[in-house]
Amino acid sequence: MRRFGIFTFLFALPLFLMAHGVSEVDQEILSKGGLLAYIRVGAGHMLTGYDHLLFLVGVIFYLSGFRDIVKFITVFTLGHSITLILGTYLGYSVNEHLIDAVIALSVIYKGFENLGGFERWLGVPSPNLLFMVFAFGLIHGLGLSTRLQSFDLGEGQLLAKVISFNIGIELGQVFALIPIVYVINSWKKQKSYDAFYLAANYYLLIAGVFLLVYQLSGYFSA
Amino acid sequence: MKKQTILIVLGLLLSSHDMYFKPGAYFLEPNSAASIELYNGTFERSENTIDRNRMIDVSLVGGGKRLAVDSSQWKEVEGVTVLDFIAGDAGTWVAGLSTYPKNIELAANEFNEYLEHDGVLDMLVWREENGELNSDAIEKYSKHVKTIFQVGETLTDDWKTVLGYPIEFIPLENPYDLHSGHAMKVKLLWQGEPLANQLVYVGSEVESHDHGDGEAHSHEGTEAEADHEHDALQQLRTDAQGVVTFDISHQGVWYLRTIYMALSEEEGLTHESNWATLTFQVGDGHSHHATEVHEHDNEDVWGIPSYVYWVGSLLLLFGLFYWFNKRKG
Repeated sequence: MRRFGIFTFLFALPLFLMAHGVSEVDQEILSKGGLLAYIRVGAGHMLTGYDHLLFLVGVIFYLSGFRDIVKFITVFTLGHSITLILGTYLGYSVNEHLIDAVIALSVIYKGFENLGGFERWLGVPSPNLLFMVFAFGLIHGLGLSTRLQSFDLGEGQLLAKVISFNIGIELGQVFALIPIVYVINSWKKQKSYDAFYLAANYYLLIAGVFLLVYQLSGYFSA
Repeated sequence: MKKQTILIVLGLLLSSHDMYFKPGAYFLEPNSAASIELYNGTFERSENTIDRNRMIDVSLVGGGKRLAVDSSQWKEVEGVTVLDFIAGDAGTWVAGLSTYPKNIELAANEFNEYLEHDGVLDMLVWREENGELNSDAIEKYSKHVKTIFQVGETLTDDWKTVLGYPIEFIPLENPYDLHSGHAMKVKLLWQGEPLANQLVYVGSEVESHDHGDGEAHSHEGTEAEADHEHDALQQLRTDAQGVVTFDISHQGVWYLRTIYMALSEEEGLTHESNWATLTFQVGDGHSHHATEVHEHDNEDVWGIPSYVYWVGSLLLLFGLFYWFNKRKG
């Protein structure tokens, strides 16, 4: 029963936080607030952006030890910060559906890799994870940048606003990762961890495919 | 100076002779019955109606087409000239009206008073500096008004249509693509060219009742006026490119007014003025793709509420866990 409670908490967390993710409200906050508003909206976006969180869940599953987690999350943060800041500052954006479809692919990729898909089904070793996390970080950052640019950022202080939004993203990421890391590490001590591992990673595959189909259908019907 | 500005602004609010196009509702449903009121007086109150034979042009622009308005579509209601029409297809529409010039003869003191009350300060200063304060005036004047309103949800580019009036405001952004907190830029054209360093007054009112229902409201009389709170008039100037910039500080109806007056070389005249106004409403903003489908928001996917997916996800996850756990056991 306790395990089920933890289980529910981990995966339902974004559901409860999601109630805050209303674009019009975000725009109102950005329009009326200063740089702190950008931090707030950035944090809220990360907490309600379940594709980013699903990818991070996949990364955390693969890692063992606090040092590993810090290393990989730092690389992911570096990757998404580069494209978020540069993309927004230079006014470069991509189709929202297509970039989110690629982010969905990153979720599929992580589930597939965690299930040993490369070795088991393709007969090849997994690509270097650190490199892949950095590459997917760049893609997630471009998605975040496209999202930020969909708001009216008003006049002036563009770089400061982008950096504030990025700080919010990092704060949201840390806030979301704390319970995720706690739950996964706690479960590792349980006998049912193997079943949990398989269930969670097959779920990542299914959720990733669903998000991919959803974004592509949005792209082709737009 | 501050006191003088307050007096001028007060004068503009209470006793100017502007003309405004004021839609009964700035947000309309496609193909619904609608009306636009032509106020001649202040933004708050129309003092008299305008005869059809004074109108050179009355146009509705939408869907890339400019439609001439039939004079039979006008009526008078207690000092207000009202245009009834059927809103067209979804889009951002422009309505414009231009009047024939009329002449007015004023004694020097009346003319000075009018320049002060209506905010034609550059001409007043010129008269002071050139010792003309005691000169009577015969002025030719004409008025050119525009309004921008939104039909349905679709934003179109008709808002930037140049109607070709002697003087007219052209927004540089669709007002229905904006929301409060944005700095709006509007270009002022005189004979088709940007008019630099021209005094422009910007005012607004905060709506305390919903204009989003697509129905026309009457704004006549004191009852309707009590529904609005008016912000202080801003006195601004166009820059070298003829652009005036102001902050959209809140949602509601916004208006711009200017009077461009010059000395006249025409026989029998001393001055010529052209008056321009523009009205529009700022809502909650329709742009920035915020209303487009995005899976981060609390929106429905394929018409199914988000919570269904989340409950489904939990059930799927639990089902997978149960299955793998049982298989292992």
